Amino acid sequence: MLKNYIKIAWRNILRHKAYSLINISGLTVGIAACLLIFVILQFETSYNKFNANYKNIYHIISEQKRDGNIDYNPGVSVPALEGFRLDMPQVKFAAVNSSYGSQFTILNNGESVSASDKKFIEPLGVMFTEPQFFDIFTTKWLSGDKNVLAQPNMVVLSKATADKYFGDWKQANGKSIKIDNAITLRVAGVIEDMPSNTDIPLKVLVSYITWKNAGELYGYTNEWGSLSSNHQIFALLPANMSKDAFQKQIDIFTKKATENKTNSTRIHIVQPLGELHFDTRIGNTLGDHLTSKATLKTLGFIAILIILMASINFINLSTAQSVGRSKEVGIRKVLGSTRSQLIAQVLGETMLVILFSILLALALAKIALPHLKNIASVPDDIALLSVGTVLFLVTTFVVVVLLSGIYPALVVSGFKPVLALKNKITAASIGGIPLRRALVVAQFAIAQLLIIGTIVAVNQMNFVNEADLGFNKEAVMILPGYTDSISLSKMESFKANLLQNPNIKSVSFASDAPSSDNNSGSNFYFNNSMKDPDFNTFLKFGDNDYFKTFGLKLVAGKGFAKSDTVNQFVVNETFIHKLGIKRAEDAIGKTMKLGSAKTFSPIVGVVKDFKTNSLRDEVKPIAISSRKALLSQTAVKIETKGLSNTAKAVQSLWEKTYPEYAYNGYFLDETIAQFYKQENQLALVYKLFAFIAVFISCLGLYGLVSYMAVQRTKEVGVRKVLGASVLNIVLLFSKEFMILIGISFLLAIPIAWYMMNQWLQNFVYRIPLTAGVFILAMATSIIIAWLTVGYKATKAALVNPVKSLRSE
Amino acid sequence: MLSLQHISKYYQVGGNKNYVINDISLNVDEGEFVSIMGPSGSGKSTLLNIIGMLDEPTNGYHYFVDQPVHQLKEKQRSALYKQYIGFVFQAYHLIDELTVAENIETPLIYQDVKGSERKAMVADMLDRFQIVGKKDLFPAQLSGGQQQLVGIARALIAKPKLILADEPTGNLNSKQGEEIMELFRKLNKEDGVTIIQVTHSEKNAEYGSRIINLLDGKIESIKNL
Ligand SMILES: Nc1ncnc2c1ncn2[C@@H]1O[C@H](COP(=O)(O)OP(=O)(O)OP(=O)(O)O)[C@@H](O)[C@H]1O
Ligand SMILES: [Mg+2]
Repeated sequence: MLKNYIKIAWRNILRHKAYSLINISGLTVGIAACLLIFVILQFETSYNKFNANYKNIYHIISEQKRDGNIDYNPGVSVPALEGFRLDMPQVKFAAVNSSYGSQFTILNNGESVSASDKKFIEPLGVMFTEPQFFDIFTTKWLSGDKNVLAQPNMVVLSKATADKYFGDWKQANGKSIKIDNAITLRVAGVIEDMPSNTDIPLKVLVSYITWKNAGELYGYTNEWGSLSSNHQIFALLPANMSKDAFQKQIDIFTKKATENKTNSTRIHIVQPLGELHFDTRIGNTLGDHLTSKATLKTLGFIAILIILMASINFINLSTAQSVGRSKEVGIRKVLGSTRSQLIAQVLGETMLVILFSILLALALAKIALPHLKNIASVPDDIALLSVGTVLFLVTTFVVVVLLSGIYPALVVSGFKPVLALKNKITAASIGGIPLRRALVVAQFAIAQLLIIGTIVAVNQMNFVNEADLGFNKEAVMILPGYTDSISLSKMESFKANLLQNPNIKSVSFASDAPSSDNNSGSNFYFNNSMKDPDFNTFLKFGDNDYFKTFGLKLVAGKGFAKSDTVNQFVVNETFIHKLGIKRAEDAIGKTMKLGSAKTFSPIVGVVKDFKTNSLRDEVKPIAISSRKALLSQTAVKIETKGLSNTAKAVQSLWEKTYPEYAYNGYFLDETIAQFYKQENQLALVYKLFAFIAVFISCLGLYGLVSYMAVQRTKEVGVRKVLGASVLNIVLLFSKEFMILIGISFLLAIPIAWYMMNQWLQNFVYRIPLTAGVFILAMATSIIIAWLTVGYKATKAALVNPVKSLRSE
Repeated sequence: MLSLQHISKYYQVGGNKNYVINDISLNVDEGEFVSIMGPSGSGKSTLLNIIGMLDEPTNGYHYFVDQPVHQLKEKQRSALYKQYIGFVFQAYHLIDELTVAENIETPLIYQDVKGSERKAMVADMLDRFQIVGKKDLFPAQLSGGQQQLVGIARALIAKPKLILADEPTGNLNSKQGEEIMELFRKLNKEDGVTIIQVTHSEKNAEYGSRIINLLDGKIESIKNL
């Protein structure tokens, strides 16, 4: 019997090629899209779960309150570590201090670095690590063991890192490498590589004691007042201890320890390892990204919408098509088929089509997989097939079969044999026309939702990408460097050499660019007052060419003069407004000093506000001054003509000047684009899925219209004979769909408005949600619907009436 | 075998009840060969459909092998159907998506006959109706008469105890028609199969043991041969 069904199903698919093509391509695209979203969701939600003690591991974060502001910091002050250990002996604690962008030099001859030594810059995964870390996180040691991290100047490498540095990790042991050309380390162990779904990437582990011994070089301080996001603490609870009990003990300790030791109230919050990857309060993890649960939910929501749309096509087309099958059903009933056998048969056909679509979807997803990294933060080598995805496909299969197969099966199997045989079954008599209309409305509502989402997201990202940042980010290269005395001594000659190149317009040494993710700040005193204002100022340092190089505009006064130490300030408009000064000129000549400084220095200029961070954040009060020892970056403004040639010249000059360091330059506009990586990805997701949604609903619409055209051939013929024009006929066909689109639009507006308004709240600087956006979405879908319906309708209307009537 | 008591069927047309079958009572015993005749539109097909449980009367009682059909659920009716009835349609009603052989095979599938057995029975039927050469063709590739033959073969293959045939020879030439009638007679005489046929041809009607004449939904006359 099964064979018979499959045979019929296959012949049906072939016989109704157009419908099958529409059904299969809609489903294939829908399922492939959902599968890829599932791969993303599965990857993001699997973060950190591979750890054996996953459920009992906690990360401790700090919450600071000052002047009514709450700041969260993923780090914990150094003295807390020993305190935790003393107070809670039953809990295992371990600290790491991360270092971003450190350079490792593979030493070939003794301690000294030569230009020919191989150098590697590690953006992530460099940690000063305690041996206790491995009591909490288990890993496989390929050589050495955790105890080597108890000694100073020891380093443990991951297998991939060791392979990269030494060709083969087996060669690594006992070799010497130098970190940031400052401390020589001995390789004492190699560990298995971390999977990519970790928030604690371990690539180069230097013993924690090395960090302590290095003191200021890596920012070690045993002060409560200092809180760095680099210094993080993890804990492993005994199995019988609850999160609440742990939090209580931490609270008791924190209260006792921090009283009168910091100028803000601070508490420590225990964060289960499972929440680390999604905690947007803390800004970032030790890994490369955090993911907000909201983004994942949006993705999941879109996936469900897409599957629904594809299923709706199926239901619509199958029920419409079932009319044509009424005779077969009638005969089968007469030949002895029971209703359940007919249901089985129709379901079987559905299953076959869906199975076919799933296989095609798998192939399509496989092709699209390498591009997945453009819409999500997934590794290049992410796998498509896993237990999870197979389960997902099986579930999808069952759900789609139930969603799209049951209703048509019930309709078809319910035909009365006599009516069916007499061809008395019409689209109207099987009912379901209201249902089909509702489904088309649902489909178009979904498509419009995604179109509106796309318009808003794309507009906002255009706004962000083209926003006036208050400075010029184009054609500025940033060369990160070092502030050791040798490097500092070469600065002037390096600058002079750069400026010899006619394509280089200006060069400035700086702590960081005007827009950066640097948030260093300080309290300060204004105009000789001994009491500090109730806000901190944020700080940037640069040389006297800083304003020229970045194209910053001064609204009053001038830039500061060349100096190696802080003796003049330029502040921004927000700074003076916060102090209650209205006119920029009034600020000139006033004095200020930073928290720890001894003397007051004059404010010589006020710079027009520029965006200090991303457009998600408010402009901060900024004071800019000059202090040579902090100017680790070189900013080079170049002509846009021959950009890449100039960039090459800059690189070779840098390499000649600083042979002991690896070159690490980049263009400023690229890093600024990085601020919005997740938003740009989401905008792309919307674009992509809106396109898919429109595609699927057009397929559905096309299918329905072509079906209608067949059903109404005779009506069209008669109308034409009676004098209707082609336009009349096309209007007749499109009228209904236009009404349905109108209804779907009314449904889509409030949902879309709510969704996109929420999303825009992420940005302090954002576009308004105007009626224009919604009208544009409506117009888009109407035009698309017209094109889809119009073609078929016109074709139907152009048929010679004599022909269609004669065949009746 | 079956008994109809005061069966009526009407369609509501406007405010009027338009009777297609008007208070017909009829008994058919096992082993009978009944021919139904009457002008076009007199209700022959409707009556046959009611007997075959494809259509439901508006009024009356209907017993089939002592079961009250008017009280049965669809599932039970369909079970009865499978067990007893073979139908030959006026309009052939073959499944367009199936080949000749597959069309003939279909009733066996619903009666859970094993695959190998089915093949043998289908081959036998194809042989008997001399359509072996057409077995892989689809209905659309056959002439009307050939389709009719396939329809008859399909009705006979499951060895039904009751054959309902609606103008089985309408599209056959007289020689073919005669052969079918001979086949029916043989089934009726030798195997005791009950046959009810609708026909316009006096000659064919006379193969039966009883001829019922319908007019406007009523039995006008019965002639026993
Ligand atoms: N759905 C319906 N609504 C109204 N009248 C109907 C309907 N179906 C059938 N009829 C009427 O029932 C009557 C009997 O039809 P039936 O098919 O039984 O006739 P018949 O005797 O088999 O005719 P023929 O010899 O042409 O096959 C016809 O007059 C027809 O108009
Ligand atoms: Mg008839």
